[in-house]
Amino acid sequence: MKKYLIAYSIALQETLQRRSTLIMDRLGGFAVVISLYSFWIALIGDKSSFLGYSRSEMLTYVLLLNILRSFVFAGRGWQLVGEISSGRISSYLVRPISYHGYALSLDLAQKSVHLVSAILEVSLLAALVRGQLFIPADPATWLLFTASVVVSSLLFFFLEFLVSSLAFWTSESGGPLFCFELFLQFAAGAFFPLDVLPEGLRRALEITPFPYMVYFPIRLFLQKITPAQALHLLTLETAWLFAVAAAALFVWRRGVRSYAAEGG
Amino acid sequence: MAAAIETRELVKDYRSPLKEPGLWGGVKSLFHREYKDTRAVDGVSFRIDEGELVGFLGPNGAGKTTTLKMLSGLLTPTSGRATALGFTPWNREPSFQRSISLVMGQRSQLWWEIPAYETLRLNQAIYGLSEAEFRSHLDELVDLLELREHLFVPVKKLSLGQRMRAELAAALLHRPRLLLLDEPTIGLDVVMQKKVREFIKAYNARYGATIMLTSHNMTDVVELCRRVIVIDKGRILYDGSLDRLVESHADYKILRARFSKAVDATGLETIGKIVKIGAFDVTLEIPRARMAAGATALLSSYPVADLNVEDVAIDDIIRRLFTRS
Amino acid sequence: MRPLIVKYGRIWMRTASMAMQAQLSYRLGSFGFLLGKMIRLFFFFAFMAAVFQHVEQVAGYSLVETALFFMTFNLVDMSAQILFRGVYGARRTVSEGDFDFYLVQPCSPLFRITCSTVDFLDMVTILPVIVMTGMVFARLPAMGWERHALYWLLIFNAVALIYAIHVLVAGLAVRTQELESAIWIYRDVMFMGKFPVDVYAPSVRHALTFVIPIAVMTTFPAKAFLGRLSTMWIAYAFAVTAAALPLSCLYWNRSVARYTSSSS
Repeated sequence: MKKYLIAYSIALQETLQRRSTLIMDRLGGFAVVISLYSFWIALIGDKSSFLGYSRSEMLTYVLLLNILRSFVFAGRGWQLVGEISSGRISSYLVRPISYHGYALSLDLAQKSVHLVSAILEVSLLAALVRGQLFIPADPATWLLFTASVVVSSLLFFFLEFLVSSLAFWTSESGGPLFCFELFLQFAAGAFFPLDVLPEGLRRALEITPFPYMVYFPIRLFLQKITPAQALHLLTLETAWLFAVAAAALFVWRRGVRSYAAEGG
Repeated sequence: MAAAIETRELVKDYRSPLKEPGLWGGVKSLFHREYKDTRAVDGVSFRIDEGELVGFLGPNGAGKTTTLKMLSGLLTPTSGRATALGFTPWNREPSFQRSISLVMGQRSQLWWEIPAYETLRLNQAIYGLSEAEFRSHLDELVDLLELREHLFVPVKKLSLGQRMRAELAAALLHRPRLLLLDEPTIGLDVVMQKKVREFIKAYNARYGATIMLTSHNMTDVVELCRRVIVIDKGRILYDGSLDRLVESHADYKILRARFSKAVDATGLETIGKIVKIGAFDVTLEIPRARMAAGATALLSSYPVADLNVEDVAIDDIIRRLFTRS
Repeated sequence: MRPLIVKYGRIWMRTASMAMQAQLSYRLGSFGFLLGKMIRLFFFFAFMAAVFQHVEQVAGYSLVETALFFMTFNLVDMSAQILFRGVYGARRTVSEGDFDFYLVQPCSPLFRITCSTVDFLDMVTILPVIVMTGMVFARLPAMGWERHALYWLLIFNAVALIYAIHVLVAGLAVRTQELESAIWIYRDVMFMGKFPVDVYAPSVRHALTFVIPIAVMTTFPAKAFLGRLSTMWIAYAFAVTAAALPLSCLYWNRSVARYTSSSS
């Protein structure tokens, strides 16, 4: 357990050390948040609500989006692809450390920093906009929200792992990973609430695990679904998590076995 | 003879950021950075004539690569002057760049996924070679380097030796008058090292190009260079012929003897300084002047089965130069 | 002058051809990237169309007009991508030592850095963009030739301005060998250009016009075409580029002079 904590600490330092990269990353995400928020406000115009979202709910949606993006989507898929195709991963495989545990520690470290930054940005934006945020009063909501966010984060971690593991069989896994990440962002509701989409499309997406990652937790927070429904969806999401994690681990084991160490 | 390279008191300083260890250091580095200044080259002066083949020796971090980079125009010195082929290198004039080539043993300018031939075509465009020039230069290089089939295979599928030869072809396509080679044989097997050395020698002979090369491999230096410049910690320790280096820094020679019977070591000390001794063999250091006498004494008093007299290994001489500095 | 243009044209053609060959050796990866880019393009377009199912206009622009803004953004962004893509890999170019070769060879290192990795996929993706733009123009009311001329002049101006920004980023990469993310922040802020800047709050709009002139790049051409841009602003657009180009080139020259080259 200690070794994972050390890995976490080192990764944390590394993220902080590359301060310019960090600042740039955050500023970029911030720009996206502002764009989306402004667009939505322009959409609402003079009306009191748009697609069932009031002004304050819209603001909250966008701000939560920023936080969730940092926590759910900041992944190490690209590093993994790089490590596999360069052969660097061999050194990890021979050490008495679970690569998944190690990667998770690194992932958490990165996310910790981004999360802190996201919260700061969001507070700044909320103060600037002087908008009303929607803060749910019910503690159950907070509890369920936190739970769903944690599950979402893990879900993304394993999904990304799954796709990145393609690198074991082809040197060209960058393409699929890129495609996957883009599609995911749209499907998860990370660009716009899925309410915008026509009924049929939305239903189709709800069969996949993607909407659970951003759309669902935010709607939960905004109390657009009852706690009972939330619990039901949370269970579904957890089921997805287990399925994806199992698939990821299975593919991983297969990959490691067929892996002829390159490099050198 | 015209000077191909002339440097005067070249100095180069580097700045690198310092990082405090630990998590707190990481946070602090977000707000404040400290730097460390290092002097890589400290007043280097030398002169090389056209057509010379000079070896540039030194341990890692001695400043040889930095000097080479300054001479190619890659780096601007902190102070000092230099001319190469009549130009100031760091002005990077195209006419200067068309006459030189920098080859770095650990780096390649060849594009990885496609055949080397394509990179050669690119260099043709960069150096402005006509179709005729391109063909004739390429033909000669292909002959000298034995590259015929390898040019049309993706570079990633070539062996290290083939890649290095293709690299040399790309670097010399424009027939530069001045070659700066940084560790050209690094990582190559013995056979390939020899091929590269032969190529360098042939290029120097055929085109009269001035060649300056750095290497850790002593065989490279011994086989190719009559003159060496030894550098350490940014300063020149020696500049002159290799032979004189050996003579002046090693006033002794090495004598190795193997015996047919086990011998008593006590008498051996009178002949020379014992470096290594086993039951049936001995290695002695004997001053040059007394070598003949020492060998005779050994042969007459001991049952010698085999005898060898050698010069001190250049590695050792150079190492001694460094430790003394 | 002419031989120089010929020489650089030849070099560009060679590197473009080489880049294409290199990419073609990666079929799966290329397909993934191409698919990802297409997804991004179409999803966004679909999103806009879906939004307009619910509203008549956004910030005073109808669907067709908003589409014009979006397509203008794509035209400008993709042209810049095709021409200046090399800067995205500038940090790697420097750290892997390729930049050293650029400096030693008789060809502008700036040219090599910006133009060395032409992505022929971008040239493929710009085709549907051009088609879609044509469709949008077909649905707009007919305008005089001056409007069309102005539109294309401002697009050309936009690409030149983007070039200045890329030169600045390249200079940063050479100088600090650390700010790889500088270009990613540009891309993130460019995201804001997908919408006409009129949707944003005044403070943001000012930032996008005067601080990081995204508005000049993406909003101005379409706005001018629609006749909603005053002469003063048009003059400003050209002035910004006229100022930015020499300044960024100056910065580049200074960065190269201070270049220290990664050690062996």
